[in-house]
Amino acid sequence: MSPDFLNFIETVLNGLMTGVMYSLVALGFVLIFKASGIFNFAQGVMALFAALTLVGLQTGQVPFAHLINAVLGTDVHNWGPGLPTVLAILLTMAVMILLAYIVEKVVLKHLVNQEPIILFMATIGLAYFLEGFGDLMWGADVKALNVGLPTGGSFWWEDVTRGWASEGSEYFGMYIDTLDVSAAIIALILVIALTVFSQYTATGRALRAVADDHQAALSVGISLRGIWVIVWSISGFVALVAGIMWGAKSGVQFSLSLIALKALPVLILGGFTSIPGAIVGGLIIGVGEKLAEAYVGPLVGGAVENWFAYMVALAFLLFRPQGLYGEKIIERI
Amino acid sequence: MNQHIDPGSLRADDGIERGGMLLHVDNISLSFGGVKAIADISFDIKKGEIRAIIGPNGAGKTSMLNVINGFYHPQEGTITFRGEKRRHMRPHRAASQGIARTFQNIALFKGMSTLDNIMTGRMTLMRSNILAQALWFGPAQKEELAHRETVEKIIDFLEIEHIRKTPVGRLPYGLQKRVELGRALAADPALLLLDEPMAGMNLEEKEDMSRFVLDVNQQFGTTIALIEHDMGVVMDLSDRVVVLDYGRKIGDGSPDEVRNNQDVIDAYLGVSHD
Repeated sequence: MSPDFLNFIETVLNGLMTGVMYSLVALGFVLIFKASGIFNFAQGVMALFAALTLVGLQTGQVPFAHLINAVLGTDVHNWGPGLPTVLAILLTMAVMILLAYIVEKVVLKHLVNQEPIILFMATIGLAYFLEGFGDLMWGADVKALNVGLPTGGSFWWEDVTRGWASEGSEYFGMYIDTLDVSAAIIALILVIALTVFSQYTATGRALRAVADDHQAALSVGISLRGIWVIVWSISGFVALVAGIMWGAKSGVQFSLSLIALKALPVLILGGFTSIPGAIVGGLIIGVGEKLAEAYVGPLVGGAVENWFAYMVALAFLLFRPQGLYGEKIIERI
Repeated sequence: MNQHIDPGSLRADDGIERGGMLLHVDNISLSFGGVKAIADISFDIKKGEIRAIIGPNGAGKTSMLNVINGFYHPQEGTITFRGEKRRHMRPHRAASQGIARTFQNIALFKGMSTLDNIMTGRMTLMRSNILAQALWFGPAQKEELAHRETVEKIIDFLEIEHIRKTPVGRLPYGLQKRVELGRALAADPALLLLDEPMAGMNLEEKEDMSRFVLDVNQQFGTTIALIEHDMGVVMDLSDRVVVLDYGRKIGDGSPDEVRNNQDVIDAYLGVSHD
C-alpha cells in the first residue's frame, strides 16, 4: 500500500476515535431529551463537574478550600493523600445522583408542563450555576486526571502498520493514541449496557414508556418525577464517563464544558431522540473533521476542524432536519 | 372457570364484599377557567358491578374518569375509594391503589411491542429496586419472570398471541384497543375505567370487545366503570347506569329505569325548552 493511502486510513481511524468522544457527550443529551423533551444545556458542565469532583476526591482536596480559608483565615488545601481511584469514581457517581435529585426537586418539579424553551433556559441557568459552584468547590486551576488508563501512542500498532507500506517507501507506521482506544472500548460497553438496561429491565421499560407517551405512563402508575431523577442520574453517569475521558485526554479545565457545543452538530446529524444516532453522528463528525483538516486544511490555511462540524450540521438541517435516525416530524393540520 | 389472573395478588384485599361500596363520588365540581365541566355530581360504584357512564357529547363523562384517576383535580367534592377519602390524587398514586384505565384516543406506547406494553401495566406491582434490576440480580430476575407469566396469561385471554412481538403502532385500531385493555388488566385492578372501549369499531370488533369486558367482570370479578355511546352495548353490558348532561347528573339506575327516565329521553332526543 502506498503511504498516502495509509495516511488516509490513519486519519480516518483518528477521526473515529475523536468521534467516540463526541458521541459520549451527545449520548447524555439524547437520554434526557428522549425522556422529558428537555434539551439539557448543562450536559457539558455536568461532565466538567464530575471530572472536577473525581480529581478532587482522588487527590484529597478539601472542598470549598478557598471559601474556608477566606472566611476562617485558615490555610487548608488537602485533607490527606486522597482516595483510591475506584472509590473516588463510586463517590463521584453518588454525587451525580444527588445532583440529579436536587435538580428535580429544585428546578424541574416547578416547571412541569412549561414550554420547552423555558425548560431550556432553566438548564442554561443550571449550567452557569454548576460551573460557578464547581469553581467554588474545587478551584479553577487546570488539574491532571489519571485514572490508570494507558496513554501515549501505541508502539505495537506502529510496528504492525509499518510493514504495510510498499517496499522502499519511507513509512514509519500509524499513530494511534491508546487512551482513545480505551475510550472507544468503554463507550462501546456503555452503549451496550444502556441498551440492555432499557430493553430488559422494568425500569428500562418505564423509561421507554415515558419517552413514548407521558399520559399513558402516568396511567399505568409510573411516577414522572421518579423517572426524571433516574434519567438525570444516568445522564450524570454518562457525563462522568465523558468527563473522565476528556479529562484524562486534555486535563480537567473549565473549557471542558464547551464540549457541549461540539455535541450540537452531532445531535443535529444523528437526531435528538436516537441513541444509535448519537453514536453514528459522533463518528461521522469525528471522521469528517479529521479528513477536512488533513485534506482541505492545507488549501485554506488550516483550522478547518473548528468550523467543519457546524457546516455539516447546517447542510443537514437543509435536507434532513430530523437527523439520520430521528423521528420524522409530521404535523397534523 | 375460576382462574384468577394473579393468584398471589400483591395488592392487599380491601375486605369489601361483592356488592359493597367500592367508590363513592360526592358533590364533585370541576371547572376549567370559567367553563364548568362537572357540577355537583355524586354517584357510587359497587364492587363487582359494571357501571356505565353515558351522556351526550360534552356531558363531562371523560372529565369524570379523569377526576377518578387523578388527571384532573376537582375544585369541590371528595372521592372515597376503598374506604379512603380524598380530594386530590396523583395519577401514579391512583394506579398503585388499583385504578387502571384505557383512553378514548388510545394511549399506548407505540414504539414498544404488545408484550412490553402489557408488561408496563405490572409496573405498580414490581418491588425490586433499580440497582437489583440493573445487575439482573436474583430476586429481580425472578420477579420479572413471574410478572411475565401473568402477562402471557392475559395475552392468551385476549387472544392476541400472534402479535406479542409486534410494535403496537403497526397494529390495526381494534387490536390496539385490545392491547390497551390488556395493559389495564395487567395491573390486576380493583377498578377498571374504560373510556369508550368500542368507539370506532365495526360490529364484529364490538362483539369481541363486549365479550372480553363481560368475561373480565365475571371471571376475575373486576369492577368496571365504562363510558360508551352505543346504547345497545350499554344496555346489554351494564348493571347500573349513570347519565350526565352538561356536567350535571340527570339519571341513575338500572338500564331499564334509565331508559324510561323522561330527562334522559329529553337529553338524547332533544326537547324544546320554552
